[in-house]
Amino acid sequence: MSAASDAPSTIALIGNPNAGKTTLFNALTGANQRVGNYAGVTVEVKSGETFTPHGRKLHVLDLPGCYSLRANSPDEKIALDALSGQLPGEPKPDIVVSVVDASNLERHLQLTLQIIELGLPCVLALNMVDVAERSGLRLDPAKFSEELGIPVVPMQANAKKGIVELKQALRFPHPIPAEVTWIAGASDPEAGRRAFIIRLCELAARRPDAHQQTLSDRIDSVLLHPVLGWISMLGIFFTVFWAIFSFAQIPMGWISNGQALLSGWVESLMADGDLRSLIVDGVIGGVGGVVTFLPQIILLFLFIGLLESSGYMARAAYLMDGVMAKAGLSGKSFLPLFSSYACAIPGVMATRTIDSAKERLVTIFVAPWMSCSARLPVYFLIIPLLLHEKEGTWKQALILFAIYALGTLTAFIVARLLRGRLGEDISPGHFLLELPPYRKPQWSYILRHVLDRALSFVKKAGTIILGLSILLWALSTYPKKAGADEAEALAHSAMGRIGAVIEPVVRPLGFDGRMGTAILTSFAAREVFVSSMAILYRVEETDDEEQTRNVLRDQLAASKWPDGRPIFTPLSLVSLLVFFIYALQCLPTTAVVARESGSWKWAAGQFVFMTGFAYVASLLVFQVGKLIGF
Amino acid sequence: MSPVLAADLEIDSAMTLNQAKVGCDMQIRVLSGPGCDRLRDLGFCEQLQVRKLAGGRNLICSICGTRMAISRELAEQVLVSPVG
Repeated sequence: MSAASDAPSTIALIGNPNAGKTTLFNALTGANQRVGNYAGVTVEVKSGETFTPHGRKLHVLDLPGCYSLRANSPDEKIALDALSGQLPGEPKPDIVVSVVDASNLERHLQLTLQIIELGLPCVLALNMVDVAERSGLRLDPAKFSEELGIPVVPMQANAKKGIVELKQALRFPHPIPAEVTWIAGASDPEAGRRAFIIRLCELAARRPDAHQQTLSDRIDSVLLHPVLGWISMLGIFFTVFWAIFSFAQIPMGWISNGQALLSGWVESLMADGDLRSLIVDGVIGGVGGVVTFLPQIILLFLFIGLLESSGYMARAAYLMDGVMAKAGLSGKSFLPLFSSYACAIPGVMATRTIDSAKERLVTIFVAPWMSCSARLPVYFLIIPLLLHEKEGTWKQALILFAIYALGTLTAFIVARLLRGRLGEDISPGHFLLELPPYRKPQWSYILRHVLDRALSFVKKAGTIILGLSILLWALSTYPKKAGADEAEALAHSAMGRIGAVIEPVVRPLGFDGRMGTAILTSFAAREVFVSSMAILYRVEETDDEEQTRNVLRDQLAASKWPDGRPIFTPLSLVSLLVFFIYALQCLPTTAVVARESGSWKWAAGQFVFMTGFAYVASLLVFQVGKLIGF
Repeated sequence: MSPVLAADLEIDSAMTLNQAKVGCDMQIRVLSGPGCDRLRDLGFCEQLQVRKLAGGRNLICSICGTRMAISRELAEQVLVSPVG
């Protein structure tokens, strides 16, 4: 064999959104990429490996879904670059698998024809034949193959049917590029393609009745109803948030108890000293305080996965379009912004499906103001200080709701102002969204995705947060002063000195130096604030989670300024909350924004603006509050 | 008759997708406007049948067995005539 045939061939999977490319990719490579029932789940090129029946290695690329090769949106541009071999690090594909939804050929074949026109060898994967045949469509793959001049493989990627046949079609030598017969004689390529597809579908895919009332139609008549639809949507999202908070309580208790047991066990094993203090206060206290929030993050991603996979997310985007328009955005911004409630990073990545470049930039800009799950630990620490549980948990829930509402509302106002400043798009992009049929959630993929998110969170806890916890502990312990009591020792330590320097800056907001220091550490990751506060206010670990939190709270409530006034007045707590709602304290987000917006200036501007805004907002809250007499 | 004149006559007798009644089957006659490339990519091609499922701020229509939501501005660029 020649050298060329020994090197693995590169196969690119391409097709319209929702054609099942990623399902096919997973079936081919055994990978577990996330699959959603929503256009634009795959926003970057993923690659993997598979083997032909003869054992030849194939390099498989999963491209983002696109409707045409005109590169209207960033993800379509990526797909086009990959096909022409312009994608850095990936070779030009040797053969292209055009994945089409067999129940939707009139539309999906447009792209297939455009690929054939590029002169690339192509194989047509007729996916979801089961759905097509159930809807009464009569398919004739042999006829397709004959007319198009390329191999056609009927398949059902989610049930792994047709995979072997597809691999057979990808054998070496590859099929030669098909001849383009439809452009000659037509008035323009577009018309030629259309006429060809209509003739082809008449020949090879007979549709008995174009409009049957399907189950999806009946569900949609409720879920997209102008009144019932809104009630259902509010109900669904309320249930999601309620479930996240209530179900997470149980495993959160286990984690805290385990952490307390571990601390107790270490304390019983080791003699009192610096090392024990490092392990118990620094490592277990710091990391444990953050890992407690893992269950909530898992649940949030689980629900988002469910909503996407079932097809509901597209309906929510449709309903929200009117609301988003008030902020100068469209329904397409809904999913990125909603995802940002979990974490701004996937939210910013999801903006790639937005056609309008300016709308995309604005969405990226305001996404971090959707209160993300990393802020929850901070909110949960502060809210009970502000309002005791005895006053009723529903009042606490109300505050939490107000926090989310404040962030979201400000984001919408800023988006509107910013959108106005950026001006109109050169080519107006209009709202256009496919409403996929409802499908049963693909549990294995959802669970896999949730696991990935959970692992990355734990990894963060084990690296950034662990490192910072140790650093904080060291800074607040050294240099030591012999014979000093705890407060004096802290004031003498490096941390105490940093705090003294920061204090004049944060004092107008109602914070003391220790809070200033804790805020400073939270710029690496917000969750660190809680562990910093625990370390800085020297909270002793107890064997009960409830008690530990209460001790920290009591400690905070008892903290006083040198002149005897309490530090944590309701006003300073509100000021602290406001600061956390607005400040952009997340380095990974800034890095992703820089990458996605393609400009460091945009990311830096966002960071400076949000942090400045947070400072000014807190300042206003505290100073105006003081003037009114709180 | 020149093709341009033929198209003009067709436009005169057709209505836009916005004007079509909900629940009616329509045939797409002409696409005209800045969004027509995008519409064709999505399956809104001349001669195909489309059913308008809901009106309002954004329209929902069923085309080639898929439900699509499109904005009024785009629907304005789709000229249709009743089937049958």
